[in-house]
Amino acid sequence: MKTLERAKAPRRGLRSRRRRLIPYLFLLPNMAIFGLFTIFPALRGFWISFFDSTDGRHFKYVGTGNYKEIFSDQAVLNVASNTARYVIGYVISSVVISIAIALMLNAQTWGKTIFRSVIFLPVLLSPVVIGLIWANLLDRKRGGINALLAIVGVGKVPWLVDSKYTMWAVIFVGLWTHVGFFTVILLAGLQGIDKNIYEAASLDGAHGWNLVRTITLPLLKPTTLVVVILATIQGFQSFDFIYTLTGGGPVGATTLIVQYIYDSAFQTPIRYGLASAAAVILFFIIFSITILNYLIGRSRDAL
Amino acid sequence: MKNIVASANKNKWSSMSGGKPPTTWAVLRTLILIWLVLIIVLPVIWIVLASFKDLPELGQKPPTLIPHAWHISNYSQALQTYGFATFLRNSIFVTASATLLTLIINSMAAFAFAKYNFRGREGLFIMTLAMLMIPLQVILIPIYQVITKLHMVNTFWGLIIPAAATPTGVFILRQYMLTIPDEIIESARIDGAGDFRIFLRIIIPLAKPALAVVTIFSIMWRWNDFLWPLIVAQDSKFYTLPVALAILNGELSVPYNLVLAMSVLSLLPVIIMFVFMQRQIAQGIAQTGLK
Repeated sequence: MKTLERAKAPRRGLRSRRRRLIPYLFLLPNMAIFGLFTIFPALRGFWISFFDSTDGRHFKYVGTGNYKEIFSDQAVLNVASNTARYVIGYVISSVVISIAIALMLNAQTWGKTIFRSVIFLPVLLSPVVIGLIWANLLDRKRGGINALLAIVGVGKVPWLVDSKYTMWAVIFVGLWTHVGFFTVILLAGLQGIDKNIYEAASLDGAHGWNLVRTITLPLLKPTTLVVVILATIQGFQSFDFIYTLTGGGPVGATTLIVQYIYDSAFQTPIRYGLASAAAVILFFIIFSITILNYLIGRSRDAL
Repeated sequence: MKNIVASANKNKWSSMSGGKPPTTWAVLRTLILIWLVLIIVLPVIWIVLASFKDLPELGQKPPTLIPHAWHISNYSQALQTYGFATFLRNSIFVTASATLLTLIINSMAAFAFAKYNFRGREGLFIMTLAMLMIPLQVILIPIYQVITKLHMVNTFWGLIIPAAATPTGVFILRQYMLTIPDEIIESARIDGAGDFRIFLRIIIPLAKPALAVVTIFSIMWRWNDFLWPLIVAQDSKFYTLPVALAILNGELSVPYNLVLAMSVLSLLPVIIMFVFMQRQIAQGIAQTGLK
């Protein structure tokens, strides 16, 4: 390699300058797209959040007005409370249930692969279609769920009509969609636990649930934290399946932050500045959670 | 049943509790898992069956499970008279071209990160991963302004190009390319091969397993994509299947039986891919923690 370059010494200056450019040329298309369609819009969104616009063309500088409005506007507060309730319900149920499934799958020998695959299936399906499927199933009079419940004597539950139930329905469908994703991550974590530890613990007299509680769950903590964080990020970003499941209704009862941003940008009344401010806040929430994820990952690597 | 009991005995975990076969827990566990599988599978079967019903039957209270008559015409009618042939074609075209573009530009970037030393490499790589922190959801408005300025609204370019640069793809490919020995590249260089030729003739063939994973991911992402095409395709001529289903169903402008038929149609390719490649998919996700 070295000798080859030396042999061509006379042209070396030009060649090596060109050679130094080559990696940048390979990076160019990808980075250009990132710059144009992610980095620039992110900076620009921050900028727009200090302006007000009701048509997308004329912008008026309002300083921190949008942010002040967000923290006092009733509709926004309603969206924030919906989002908080959804994220909390979704994260807690996802974590508890995916740990339970992962523990069961890990202990299972008969049919393990097929169980794992099927539980994973909804992760791959179109969220829009998942929303449509469950809107059909949860329909008050024509849905399969109430028909099933009728067998055990439960009356027609207005799942998607009464705001008492809607948020639960939305959380359930979110869970149905993603629980397999978290289960696969937790299974990988479980398989990483040293088998000898179980042997040692069982020699010390730990069995069954006791073994799970004192050995497995503590050792699974790092993976569980990753799942908590991924679920939180996902929860904050939820939009597509809710769009076809409830459309954010009834009367805004399941409108989450992303739909609010979308509506303020593309449906009348258009409020670009306000939506941008909401987006900036959403960004900082997701940003801090991701940093947390990174720090935890690093401290885990250090162990 | 015998099988379950037998395998439970082999299982160290549960057979520890006191020497005698702990059949109750093993059986209970298997039953719970079967029940879970039903919760996942039954809704999908339900919708497949429903997609063959006609409107009066869909409106029936209480609902039926098996259609009285199998209306295959739901599918043909949606494709022929409600424009779904166009939406399907758009979805296939966008998925295929965006995936191809993703493979090309992601593997080029991955090659640079994996096999070159250059100023700013670490910084640019961290920046690439940082793109994951800026989901589309938080830049909806400014990105719409950008594509408007570039006249990309209502174009296939707009549907394809911006989504093609994926941080996850670069990451997976770079990790894999790191394992390709430098000696192969250097000996090719001694033989007089240029950088692009090395990339095309040596790196790409060797990175095939990673390219396969990225292909599967990309097809899944683009086929199911909703928010991005929802913004770009303001004109129904450019709707992809998910956008068409969400919007036309919301407007009630397409009969519900046809919406269900097209929903099932849009699930089909992903389910087929899942059946044949579920192991790669699950492994890829477990390894990267992304989807």
